[in-house]
Amino acid sequence: MEYTHITPRPLITVDEEACGNAILCLKCVKACLEAGPNVIGFMNSEPPPVGENAPQRLEDIPHKIIFSGMVNCNGCGKCIEACPKGALTLQMPEPQVPAARVQHADIVFCGTLRDGTKVFPRD
Amino acid sequence: MCRYCVEYGGGTKWYLNPDNYRDELYTAEVHEPTTRMLGGVLKNTFEAGAMSNVDFMAPDLYYSGNLSMALEQVTAHGGQIVPLEDALKIIDLCHGPFLLAHCACRRYFGRKDVIRCMYFWPTVETALKERPWEKDSRVISKKEAKELEREFEKKGFLHSIWHAGVNFDGIPPIVICHCTATDCIPTKFRLSYGVMNGQRKGEYVSMVDPVKCREGCKDYPVCMQRCQFGAMRYSPADRILYIDPQACFGCGLCRAACPHGAIKLVDRLSFPSLVDTW
Repeated sequence: MEYTHITPRPLITVDEEACGNAILCLKCVKACLEAGPNVIGFMNSEPPPVGENAPQRLEDIPHKIIFSGMVNCNGCGKCIEACPKGALTLQMPEPQVPAARVQHADIVFCGTLRDGTKVFPRD
Repeated sequence: MCRYCVEYGGGTKWYLNPDNYRDELYTAEVHEPTTRMLGGVLKNTFEAGAMSNVDFMAPDLYYSGNLSMALEQVTAHGGQIVPLEDALKIIDLCHGPFLLAHCACRRYFGRKDVIRCMYFWPTVETALKERPWEKDSRVISKKEAKELEREFEKKGFLHSIWHAGVNFDGIPPIVICHCTATDCIPTKFRLSYGVMNGQRKGEYVSMVDPVKCREGCKDYPVCMQRCQFGAMRYSPADRILYIDPQACFGCGLCRAACPHGAIKLVDRLSFPSLVDTW
């Protein structure tokens, strides 16, 4: 995903092909938990099947690495060191001047801008 | 009083209003997808997917309003801190059984002790049927649920009640979570991103009785280590503890830890400066 954070924060990206099934490794998750920030987790790549083919163990489901709450990341790089496959890259933000801000008063709670634009259309 | 209680409280707090526990509410339009996902095979995709997308939904941290709206209207899942006595009332209001299951923030971020969440009846059957790999989930009765609440309070875990979407017909509570502010992802979003609908503050704030506190612990305040929100300040000169009411979430864990009964919970609305702080 091509993406720029307006508010600077570290960005870790994972090469999912190199990573493979994340639940068989999880070294970066453990490293981040021990280092403190605890921003690396894992989730299933796609919902597992229901019924007879349902997996009986968590290890049978393909998983991928996710990142959550990256403002808590301090850029220590322990996850990069821990990864045996070299699938992670850490990108630290460059210092920058504050960007233009959206005025709070222009958005009311219903999700509609003052000029009628839907921010989160319901349907 | 936040808008949940104004619009859905029926004269009391929203999670203590029996109207919000109606059976048909869980199958109504906005609440049904959340109930189905939390009780079925999509649970991990729903929870961890929302967690991993938050950074991309909040490019500008100075404005967390759109993220707050998204959590309430698109994700349709949010929570509020409750103290022990309210958690016990919630268990009484809800007809059993309960599903004691893992906490996604703990299991999927590498923790080992993960059994923390008590899901309400609409999710129990489907969860057992559609997620056979979760061997550590089990069905518990009301009595066991209450014992667990007391046990979590002693260990120092926050109680929080989570809803399955806000719509005109009500807010159906769906799960009670027990976690810490350092592990609970929505609470971290609240604390570091300012997302109000991730985790709302409780309906109470703590108050210290200065006389009892001064004569109590002296040099080593035992309640301070229980506060997960940094709302407590200890003054070595006065030998007394101060609580920052703006930072207090009203979880009541400090009250449970105080050996001298010096801390009590008072209604948030009794302080004029806090009526809009949720």
